[in-house]
Amino acid sequence: MQKKITAGIHRRKLHGLTDPRVVPYVLVTPFLIFFAVVYLYPLISTIIMSFQKISSGRNTTFIGFKNYARLNTRDFWMALQTTGRYAVWDVIVLTIVPLLIATVLNSGLAKGTNFFKSLFFIPSLTSIIVAGIVFRLAFGTLETATANRVLTFFGMEPVKWLSYAGPANFVLILLTLWRWNGVNIVYYLSGLQSIPKDQYEAAQIDGANAIQSFLHVTLPGLKPVLIYVITITVLGGFSMFTESVALWQQKNGGGVGRTIVGYMYMVGFDRNDFGMASAIGIVLLLLVLVVNLIQLILMGFFKKEDQ
Amino acid sequence: MKKIVALLLALTLVLCSVSAVVAEAAEPVKLTFWTFQDLHINLYQAMLDKWNADPARTPLEIDFQPYPFEDMHTMLNMAIDAGEGLPDIVDIEIGKFANYLGDNIVLAPMNEYVEPIADHLVMARLNNYAKDGKYYGIDHHIGATVMFYNAKLLEDAGIDYTAIQTWDDFHEAGKVFLEKTGKPMITFETTDCWSLYPMVNQHGGDWLTADNQVRMDEEVVINTMKFMQEMLNDGTAIPTPGGMSHMEEYYGWMDQGGCAAICMPFWYLDRFVNFMPDLAGCMKIAPMPTWADGGHKSAQMGGTGTAVIASSPNVELAKEFVAYVGLTVDGCITTWKTCGYDPILKDVYGTPEMQETNKFFEFYGQDLFAVLQTVLDDIPDTCLTAYYPAATDIVKSQMAYRLIELKEDPETIAKECAEELRGQIE
Amino acid sequence: MAKNRINARKRGMLSVLATLLMILFAIFAMIPFAFMFMSSLKPGTEMMRFGLTLKYDPEVSSFANYAALNTYNDGIYWSWYRSSAIIMVLQTVLGLFFSSIVGYGLAMYEFKGRNLIMSLILILMMLPFEILLLPMYRMMTAAKLINNYIGVVIPYLVPPFMVFFFRQYCQGIPRELLEAGRIDGCTDYGIFYRIMLPILIPAFGAMTILSCMNSWNNLMWPMIVLRDNKLHTIPIGMGCTITPYKSAYDVLMPGAVMAVVPIIVIYLCAQKTFITGLTSGSVKG
Repeated sequence: MQKKITAGIHRRKLHGLTDPRVVPYVLVTPFLIFFAVVYLYPLISTIIMSFQKISSGRNTTFIGFKNYARLNTRDFWMALQTTGRYAVWDVIVLTIVPLLIATVLNSGLAKGTNFFKSLFFIPSLTSIIVAGIVFRLAFGTLETATANRVLTFFGMEPVKWLSYAGPANFVLILLTLWRWNGVNIVYYLSGLQSIPKDQYEAAQIDGANAIQSFLHVTLPGLKPVLIYVITITVLGGFSMFTESVALWQQKNGGGVGRTIVGYMYMVGFDRNDFGMASAIGIVLLLLVLVVNLIQLILMGFFKKEDQ
Repeated sequence: MKKIVALLLALTLVLCSVSAVVAEAAEPVKLTFWTFQDLHINLYQAMLDKWNADPARTPLEIDFQPYPFEDMHTMLNMAIDAGEGLPDIVDIEIGKFANYLGDNIVLAPMNEYVEPIADHLVMARLNNYAKDGKYYGIDHHIGATVMFYNAKLLEDAGIDYTAIQTWDDFHEAGKVFLEKTGKPMITFETTDCWSLYPMVNQHGGDWLTADNQVRMDEEVVINTMKFMQEMLNDGTAIPTPGGMSHMEEYYGWMDQGGCAAICMPFWYLDRFVNFMPDLAGCMKIAPMPTWADGGHKSAQMGGTGTAVIASSPNVELAKEFVAYVGLTVDGCITTWKTCGYDPILKDVYGTPEMQETNKFFEFYGQDLFAVLQTVLDDIPDTCLTAYYPAATDIVKSQMAYRLIELKEDPETIAKECAEELRGQIE
Repeated sequence: MAKNRINARKRGMLSVLATLLMILFAIFAMIPFAFMFMSSLKPGTEMMRFGLTLKYDPEVSSFANYAALNTYNDGIYWSWYRSSAIIMVLQTVLGLFFSSIVGYGLAMYEFKGRNLIMSLILILMMLPFEILLLPMYRMMTAAKLINNYIGVVIPYLVPPFMVFFFRQYCQGIPRELLEAGRIDGCTDYGIFYRIMLPILIPAFGAMTILSCMNSWNNLMWPMIVLRDNKLHTIPIGMGCTITPYKSAYDVLMPGAVMAVVPIIVIYLCAQKTFITGLTSGSVKG
């Protein structure tokens, strides 16, 4: 009896698309098609464009690395600096703060967990234009701006927030935190909830206190989600654009808040120089690639996963 | 019987021909118009009604497509690139217009409407939208720059704004004002070019020449910057709160009497009326102070060129309509009434319709056009080549910011910015 | 016994602290929204004059702006709403379907090219969309997909970040489940449908919210693809109200408030899946 059943199963398994060896390829096919059409072709186009001078319409001339050489401008380096500074802080703040909040929420210590969860998420649903107006007014250059009033209340000097790189970065990070805190909390919560409670109980029996169980149960169990959050935060940090547009109300992000993507937008759409804009895009891509690769290697992403 | 049939036949024929005529007359021509200016939509709609009311004109129907300011130009570029999806009429901002005057011009020249009345127009305006003697864009305003004074604040401090003739007079008045009230006289923008460029241009400078030689580090530019810096150093001028004069922070501050003056193009009239209502009756305009070492009476700033796409199936009709709105007396008067712009047709400035009371005359309480007419004959060209966008970018993000906010040395700034601009030009 | 009492008190204190912390963050999160709501009740000029304030001034406050929103430009706001909703549903449903399959395949199976595809996905996640704009537009024009919803949705059919998320999430699913299913005689697809999907519900919940949010707030691409006024989405329409020349805060504020409502509703519905669909039913037993 056993043998017959097994034989029957084997025979069925070897049929075409249901063969377990074939299944993964079938599952992955939608992505491959999508990738070729939506990403590969445009990406190759962009790389080619970065070596060309494109005048109006389709006239293109091959100019080699000239576009890259023309990147050596003060605007570009400032944008790079702004982006780098922002990305570092972004990763630090937006990985840690939501994690702490999610842990607190998950532990059930605070009252009204579900209520807070929803509340934290609402900022990411709000129009960024409006949020930009609010933050811009709150962190205005005048002494009467909200933030400056707070500062003077504590005896400190008022700051011209959006006029200088350091304070501007602070406002940008604050805006980012306001906007994306809830999102990362959602990610963390879904990860936290997949850690079986018995692991915590086992740890408690072993005499672990809260911090230890956090370090030895929570963090490892959260690892896949953690890697995900850090990766997208790194990406988000380097390609930040909308927040700076919202704050400075200039379509390419203004002044000290201009990021690489903002600079790319400025060159591509203001000056109609798509060749140089493509070159900037490629530079950004390489930058993000390198940083993320380092991050992933450090976190052991490429090692074989075992439960 | 035959008679009846013949009668019926005749009747049918008549009815057919009548309905044919009626059908032809009832088929309006459809045009699409891309714009980012709400005010333009109001203007064109008003003129459209007049046009359609005239039985001699082909009925028109216009589909107004408003887009966000910068994105509209992106859309236009993409449509040009794809060769399809183009509108019939499009508004292109002055700073971007040069992008469309390269090798492949998709716009239709309108010389047949411009040239006959060239003497009556402020040609310096139209030159911004021209190439090789062909005029591609019609602007609805001159954008003549004037000085807006908070006359009441100045009066309270014992200063008569009409006595200010030169920039040195202005600076002196500023010192007195600062002493009496502790407030600055004027603001300079740090993230936009509307303070720096008008003053430079009025002084006789510009960023580029027609063949793309960089003029950013000329003496006249540096001297203008040095003057501005003097005012910044003694507190008679401050960086604009909020960075530029279109920010909420500036409006609120100015509304509450933050300073006494601002140097802006004529179209800024509208901002005071809309966003700074507490200043009704306090604000007055006057010609810009002049430079002791030469220069002009004013400068023309900002603007939008309304252009017609050459490949449009209704190109002649579209051109005729744009000319109707922008180059006729009626159109220009309507422009003033709906938009508060200074129209480019000089003829309109004496007419009684322009003197009719509207919210602008009420707010400023003066004959605005008397002031304007004193400067109309001396407005320099601005040089808008393909590298003008790059130049403006450098001014906005570096020149203005470093000079006004960081207070760096004008000569260094000018030379470095000029070098960077040269590096961008091939 | 005494130890329990001390623990209980400690726990009580921690609870209070935790709640306070949450309240603090909640206030931080809500203030801009409160401002937005208060401003939507006032005429636009008020905001200019007084800047950031939450004061309720009964003289100037009313729902007049909302009424104006309704009639603004012949009620175009509601067609923006409809457009945004249609695109959001399309994008979310299709995106969830494809991403979950692919992510699941990448996590549960070992096959040649798996690491390559994973690396691809990572790289793609790092690509800012803006650099692909022009070529994508040319492609869509050639395919005659401009000015319709399909053209808007295509670049978002298999979003890499979603695939990545599902892949990470599925890594937490024990392989034994797959084996168990096979022994029971199921095809792998059947296993996915019957056994895995229920486990993935929290992931679906999270990704639904994310996808809805991304699509609802998306400005650039829909604007480039959609030409007709009537097809515009909310971000496009509201973007038009703020120009350097004239800012219609009267429309922007109530528009922004109204735009948040459906997303909140979706969120409240989807987040219930966090509570249900937990890690019951793993093989460990």
